[in-house]
Amino acid sequence: MRGLMKKLVGLTALSSVLFLTACGGGGNEESSGAEGGKVSADVGVVSFLTGSGAAYGEAIQGGLKLAQEEINAKGDVKINLIFEDSAGKQDQALTAAQKLINSDNVTAIIGPTLSTEMNVVGPEADLSGVPIIGTSTTAEGIPQIGDYVFRNSIPEALAIPASMQQAIDKYDVKKVAILYGNDDVFTKSGYDTMKKTAEEMGLEVLTTETFQKGQSDYNAQLTKIKNLNPDLILASALYNEGAVIMDQARKMGIDVPFVGGNGFNSPEVINIAGESSNGLIVATPWYSEKEDEKVQEFVTKFEEEHGHVPDQFAAQAYDALYILADALKNAGSSDRDAVRDALAKTKDFEGILGNFSFDEEGDVLMDPTVLVIEGEKFVEFK
Amino acid sequence: MLIEQLINGLTLGSIYAIVALGFTLVFGVLGIINMAHGEIFMFGAFIGVMITSTLNAPLWVAFLGAIIITAIMGYLLERFALRPLRHKQGVSHLAPLISTIGVSILLENLSHHLFGAGNHPFRTSFAEISFQIGSITVYLVQIVIFVISIVLMLVLTFWLGKTRAGKALRATAENLETASLLGVDTKKTILMTVIIASAMGGIAGILVGMAFNSVTPQMGLSMGLKGLAIIILGGMGSVRGAMFGGLILGLAETFIVVYGDSGYRDAIAFLAIIIILLIRPQGLFGQKIST
Amino acid sequence: MLAELINPYYLQVGCFILINIILGISVYITLSTGQLSLANAGFMGIGAYTSALLTIHFELPIIIGIIIGALVAALCGVLIGIPTLRLQGVYLAIVTLGFGEVIRVIFVNWESVTNGSVGISGIPHIGREILKTLQGFGFQPISIGLQNNQFIFLSIFILLLLITIFVIWFFRRQHQSRVGRAFAAIKLDEKAAESMGINITYYKVLAFAQGALVAGFAGAMYAHILAYISPADFAYHRAVEILIFVVFGGSEVIWGPIFGAFFLTLMPEVLRFISEYRYMIYGLIIIIMMAVRPQGLIDVPLLKALSKKGRKRGQKHGTGNHKSM
Repeated sequence: MRGLMKKLVGLTALSSVLFLTACGGGGNEESSGAEGGKVSADVGVVSFLTGSGAAYGEAIQGGLKLAQEEINAKGDVKINLIFEDSAGKQDQALTAAQKLINSDNVTAIIGPTLSTEMNVVGPEADLSGVPIIGTSTTAEGIPQIGDYVFRNSIPEALAIPASMQQAIDKYDVKKVAILYGNDDVFTKSGYDTMKKTAEEMGLEVLTTETFQKGQSDYNAQLTKIKNLNPDLILASALYNEGAVIMDQARKMGIDVPFVGGNGFNSPEVINIAGESSNGLIVATPWYSEKEDEKVQEFVTKFEEEHGHVPDQFAAQAYDALYILADALKNAGSSDRDAVRDALAKTKDFEGILGNFSFDEEGDVLMDPTVLVIEGEKFVEFK
Repeated sequence: MLIEQLINGLTLGSIYAIVALGFTLVFGVLGIINMAHGEIFMFGAFIGVMITSTLNAPLWVAFLGAIIITAIMGYLLERFALRPLRHKQGVSHLAPLISTIGVSILLENLSHHLFGAGNHPFRTSFAEISFQIGSITVYLVQIVIFVISIVLMLVLTFWLGKTRAGKALRATAENLETASLLGVDTKKTILMTVIIASAMGGIAGILVGMAFNSVTPQMGLSMGLKGLAIIILGGMGSVRGAMFGGLILGLAETFIVVYGDSGYRDAIAFLAIIIILLIRPQGLFGQKIST
Repeated sequence: MLAELINPYYLQVGCFILINIILGISVYITLSTGQLSLANAGFMGIGAYTSALLTIHFELPIIIGIIIGALVAALCGVLIGIPTLRLQGVYLAIVTLGFGEVIRVIFVNWESVTNGSVGISGIPHIGREILKTLQGFGFQPISIGLQNNQFIFLSIFILLLLITIFVIWFFRRQHQSRVGRAFAAIKLDEKAAESMGINITYYKVLAFAQGALVAGFAGAMYAHILAYISPADFAYHRAVEILIFVVFGGSEVIWGPIFGAFFLTLMPEVLRFISEYRYMIYGLIIIIMMAVRPQGLIDVPLLKALSKKGRKRGQKHGTGNHKSM
């Protein structure tokens, strides 16, 4: 018996040695660099590609690939993307990032998709000195993780007050009802911003209702809200749930406008809810109808490939890679520190999202556009 | 407002009841908790969406399609995940539970690949029909769901109690060997039970799709766990228990939103099963368990 | 030289394998009395949250936080273990499943303490704390040729490896002791065991509490390695994942869950291209295992055959193989 024990301990030790030797290539040598004025770099992507949030991952992947093709075709910078799946889980996101940082020796990382994942991956990347850009992480405190952590996704703290302010001015709102998903980081942090903003604006909050993932019946909450007669409903929901909420609300006879957070903003809302989606107000950096050559080119190309209009996740990923390519070009090498410094200097970058700069913490400086759905179409809210 | 919430609660409760009927049928005959039932229900809903929106076929075709597909899934489930365990020596009674958990994981992830992760709207003109009673809007779908759940309960009760097949089924449930000695084709009976239960899951799937206009791969897990809670609440294997357990849970979930904190809505089901199992393990309508 | 050999990625995977092994063992312990607990993800969460909150708010040393976390989980194990004693088999499994979900809902809703679904970030990181302490004594990783982050993960890995070996050693000893034989007797036939004078209540609750303790411990370690936790980490899917380790590896001997956790954690890392189908494969594995080999890959005959082979070669003196395992 003891012999067997020893054998197995030996086996464990052996396998750990195997781990260690297997990573022989994991040193710090430059895997890529500048050749003849052309910078080439490996960029790692940690994305939510399987599981319940795979739709976000797919959009991000689509946006990135499109940008990569264009950038490589131009020839100033050559980017090689390495995709890793996180399945939306922190531990898998962390191992994926570790692999990218230490085995693939990437210059920079784009992703991960969720703010929860960024909370785990961010500190690790920062410690390892790898610049990391979140393209969909909107929760508070993300760029504050460290010097190497950036994001180009517009935080809720910027988007929600903008849309609320405009809606309140137009509809003369006094009383609001709040509805949010309380078991999701994204919607919960959106709710926190809504609550704070409502207090600051002196609005009366009639009721605060919650819902959970996987729920498809919102009638109980909506009936309660309906009977309180709010002027406006603040709904912090992801678009999949949000669209269903609007559909059920309209069927019930609730006709007041909705203000949604970042996750609510997607063309899919119109697809799912149809005419029930009219009256949804969101602030977004991304407006696919914008009369801008770059924007329309992106929309056409994306639609050709994927069969639908790109959402903000695709657009933000697309811009993020361009921002990174810009930084690579300015840095003149694929050295991680040089790229970080170049990234931090990004100012007045003109992407498909508009004019973009990082503030000193690596957070977003830009003005969101406020949109409303009218006649089953996103139009600018005036 | 109270009446509106009552209607909401009854609609939700009726759906829970139909899902729970499928659970209870399988448990009553096989003594197995079919953890994959929620996922079969979800597939039923997706088949309905595919047939109505992609093929633009009428609603009855959707029902027929969903029933056929989920019945086939029930067959496969019985054939490959349950039957191999039945006559094996030394197989723990937990084996079928674990095996159906495997099926549920497989089906949930399969649907991600087949249908995508997003939400699919269920568009039929039937779901739009509504009438006004005072200030209250009632949708025809809500009434249909309620009626179907009652009808299913009555038919099942009659079928189990009065028909030959039903008697064979109950005999099988009582004792597999004895029933088989007495000339009951137990293999066929068990297969039929699983197929019927699965088809009922498919029907429930379409009804939910119509009532809430929302079909996602995740709906199976949440509905499956609720169904599980209901049969424990109502008593495992009891048709009446499933019906009333479903209605009780639906109403309780609705009224906690009205009078309490909607954050704990999902916990009611689980708190209920913990309490009921500690106080009255056989459930509200169940017979004493002999273990 | 050492610096080139140590890649934090591999160490990271190694750490998760070890944590999963501990989690697998936690289910195995409870199951060795014939009770299936699906609440271990919940116990894991209790351990993780307790330790995280204590170390953040009261600035307790991590080690104290982890110990208290594990103890609180064990206490919850006793609390849920006693009333559920009269439930058996499937009923017990469902109640523990419900308990796990209730725990998660509490984490989500008890915002003032748990910060809701946003989770708790900035939990002290074991490796970084070890490094800080050692640096306080004037030690620099570079002096043994290591980068800081290499040292951090190496220290966690070694620590976890020692702990895992201890846990395995302990439960193997227990298995051969009076307690282990009582567990086995209860699993085989509860009524017979009772008539033999075995205090069933005591041993069943003991098994439950031990499972909870180990799961809570693993959870606390998890919190201090990831430095961030949220309720979603401890949901139904986690419970099922832990179950799969045991189902796949085997539930009769302790090597079963160890092998299951090792193999199933490593597989998606090695074969990253299949990671998209990982959960479908998990599902298939469960179905096939139940139909073909319900006791799991590793069982007593297999171990006997293995050790016999070893003995024939004359390498090991495996005395007393027939007695244990």
